[in-house]
Amino acid sequence: MSSADALKVREESLARLKSIYRDEAETVIADARYGFISGLLKDVLKKPSLERVSLSDKIDNVVINRWLGIPLFLALMYGVFQFVFTLSAPFMDWIDQFFGWIGGYAAGVSPEWFGSLLTDGIVGGLGSVLIFIPPIFLLFIAIAILEDCGYMARAAFVMDRLMHKIGLHGRSFIPMILGFGCNIPAIMACRTIENPRDRLTTILVNPFMSCGARLPIFVLLAGAFFTANQGLVVFSMYVIGIIAAIIMALIFRKSILKGPSGHFVMELPPYRMPTVMGVLVHMWERGQLFLKKAGTLIFTAVIVIWFLSSMPWGTDYASAGSWIGQIGRVIAPVFSPAGFGQWQAGVSIIFGFLAKEVVVGTMGTIFAVEEGLLGGVISSQLGWTPLVAFSFMVFCLLYMPCVAALGAIRGETKSWKWTGFAAVYTTVIAWIVATLIFQIGSLFI
Amino acid sequence: MAKKEIVVALAGNPNSGKTTVFNNLTGARQHVGNWPGVTVEKKEGICSFQEYNLRVVDLPGVYSLTAYSPDEVVARNFIIDEKPDVVVDIVDASNLERNLYLAVQIMEMEVPLIIALNMMDEVESRKYKINAKTLSQEIGTSVVQMVANRNQGTDALLDEIVRVAKKKIEAGGVRIEYGREVENEISKLEEAISKSPLASRYSPKWLAVKLLEGDEEVIKKFQEVINV
Repeated sequence: MSSADALKVREESLARLKSIYRDEAETVIADARYGFISGLLKDVLKKPSLERVSLSDKIDNVVINRWLGIPLFLALMYGVFQFVFTLSAPFMDWIDQFFGWIGGYAAGVSPEWFGSLLTDGIVGGLGSVLIFIPPIFLLFIAIAILEDCGYMARAAFVMDRLMHKIGLHGRSFIPMILGFGCNIPAIMACRTIENPRDRLTTILVNPFMSCGARLPIFVLLAGAFFTANQGLVVFSMYVIGIIAAIIMALIFRKSILKGPSGHFVMELPPYRMPTVMGVLVHMWERGQLFLKKAGTLIFTAVIVIWFLSSMPWGTDYASAGSWIGQIGRVIAPVFSPAGFGQWQAGVSIIFGFLAKEVVVGTMGTIFAVEEGLLGGVISSQLGWTPLVAFSFMVFCLLYMPCVAALGAIRGETKSWKWTGFAAVYTTVIAWIVATLIFQIGSLFI
Repeated sequence: MAKKEIVVALAGNPNSGKTTVFNNLTGARQHVGNWPGVTVEKKEGICSFQEYNLRVVDLPGVYSLTAYSPDEVVARNFIIDEKPDVVVDIVDASNLERNLYLAVQIMEMEVPLIIALNMMDEVESRKYKINAKTLSQEIGTSVVQMVANRNQGTDALLDEIVRVAKKKIEAGGVRIEYGREVENEISKLEEAISKSPLASRYSPKWLAVKLLEGDEEVIKKFQEVINV
C-alpha cells in the first residue's frame, strides 16, 4: 500500500519538477551528475596549459551548438541543392540535346509502331529519367563529401537531441540520413538499433526521407512551375519529409509503439579532409543503383507503359481511350480533392510504385515529348497550377515506398503485417497532406 | 582451513581496460557463463590473496546504470541484489570526465567502492596531472592508480580490496547535490518509500532518484510489491 503511495508521490514530484525546470527530471538529474563531475575535475585534473583546443573542438563549438546546430544543418542542405541545380543545368541540356537528336532520327524509322516505341517509349520515357543523372550524381557527391569530412555524424548528433526529446533512440538519425541516398540500405542500417520498438519506429518512418529516386520528380516540376525558386522548392520537399518522419515517429512512440527508449553515447569522429577517391567511390556506390534501375526496371516499365498507351489497336496514342487511359480514369477521381485528378497523374502514381523515377518516366512516355519540354507540356495539357504541382510533389514524396523498399521492410521486420501497414499509412498520410495543401492553398490563391 | 571469501564486482566503461584487470587478478582461474535470463556473458574468477579467497565477478562494460539495456540492468542488479563486498570501478584516467559518470552512479548506490585509475601511463604521456588524493577525498572512496596492461598496480588494488572489505567502510560519505527542488522531491519520496517493504533491501534515497529518473525496472519493483 505504501508502495502505491510512493508511485503517487512520484507522479506529483515529476509534475512539479517539470513545471519548474521545463525539462524531464531525468535530464535534470543527469545534468547534476555532470555538474558534479566537472566541478570535481577542476580540483583534480590539471591539463598542460599549453594544450590547444583542437580544431575539431573549435568547429564543433559552432556546428553542434544547441542553437546554431539545426539552422546550420538546414542552411547546409539548402546550399547543397543550390549547388546541385546550378552545376547540373548545363549537363542536363547536353543530355536533352542528345535525346532530341536520337528522337529526330528515330521518328523516321519504320515500321511505324517501332518508331513510336523508340521516340515515345525510349526517348520520351527512359530519356526523361536519364536526364536526371547529373543532379542525382551531384547530390550523391555532396552527400559523400559531407559524410567523409565528418559532418554527417554531427548532423546526426544535432538531430539526435531533437529526436531524444520526442522519445526516439539516438542511433535513429543515422539511418535517416542514409535515406537521402536510398531508403533500402537505410532501412537495413536500422539493425544497429537494439531496442525493438525504436528499430520498428525508425524503419516505419524512414521512407519519408526523400531518396535520390524522388529527385527527378521534384526537379522536373520545380523547374517547370517554380523557375525562380527551384532550389528552395526542392529543399522544402526534403524538409517536409524530415518533419513528416519526426511527427510520425512521435505519434508511433506515443501510441502503438509505446515504451522506454535506449540511451547511446554518440561519439563524434574527428573532422577529416575528404579525398577525391573516397568521394567518388561513395558517389558511385549509390549512383550505380540508379543506373542499374534505369537499365532494368525502369526500361521494362517504360515499355509496358508504351504498350498500354498504344492498345487497343487503332486508338490514338496515350489517349483517354487507350488501356492506360482506362486504368487512369478509374483511379483519377481519388486524387481530385488533392488537385491532380487527371488520369495521367493517377497512372504515374500507380506505376511509381515500381520505382519513384517511373512517375517521371510514365509522364514522359504518355506525353511523348522531349524531356526538356515535358514540364511545359504538363502545365499546358493538364492545366496544372504551381499549387497543384506542389501538392503532387508532396504526394510523391510521402506515398507508398517503392516495391524494393517494401521488400526491405519485410526483410527487416519479418512481418507482412508491418509491411502492409507501412504501405497503407504512408499513402493515407500523403493523400491527407496533399489534399490539405491543395484545399487550403486554393483559399488563398 | 577454509579461507574467508570476499566478493568483488569489477565495473567500468567499455575500453577502460576492465578485462585486463580481471585477467591480472584471476589469471587462468576463470569461469564463463551467462547471466540468468539474458544472453550477456558472465565471467567469474577466483584469486587467492593473503588469508582471503576473492571471488571476482566481471560486470558488463557500460557507460551508465540505467534500465535501458540488458548490460546495464545486469551490472546494476548484481550490485544492488548480490551486494558484493567491494565494487571496483575501472576508470580510463585519460578520459576521466566520461568515465566518472559511471563512478558517480555507483557512488549513488552507496556501496563500498574503489576507483581504479587505469592507463596512468597515458595520462603522463599527455602531461596531465591527476591528484588522486584530492579525488579520493572529494568523492569519499579509495583510489588506486594502475597501468593494467603492464600489470602495474595489481597488488595495490588487492591490498585496497582487502582493506575496504575488512573495514566494511560505509560508503556514501559524499552526496551529489541535485538542486534544491529535486532534493525536496527526493526527501518526500524517501519518506513514502521508507514505509515500503523495498526500503529494507535497497537504499531509499537511491530508489527515490531512480523513480524520478523514470527507471522502468525500479517502477516495476514497486508495482510488484503492490500486487503481492
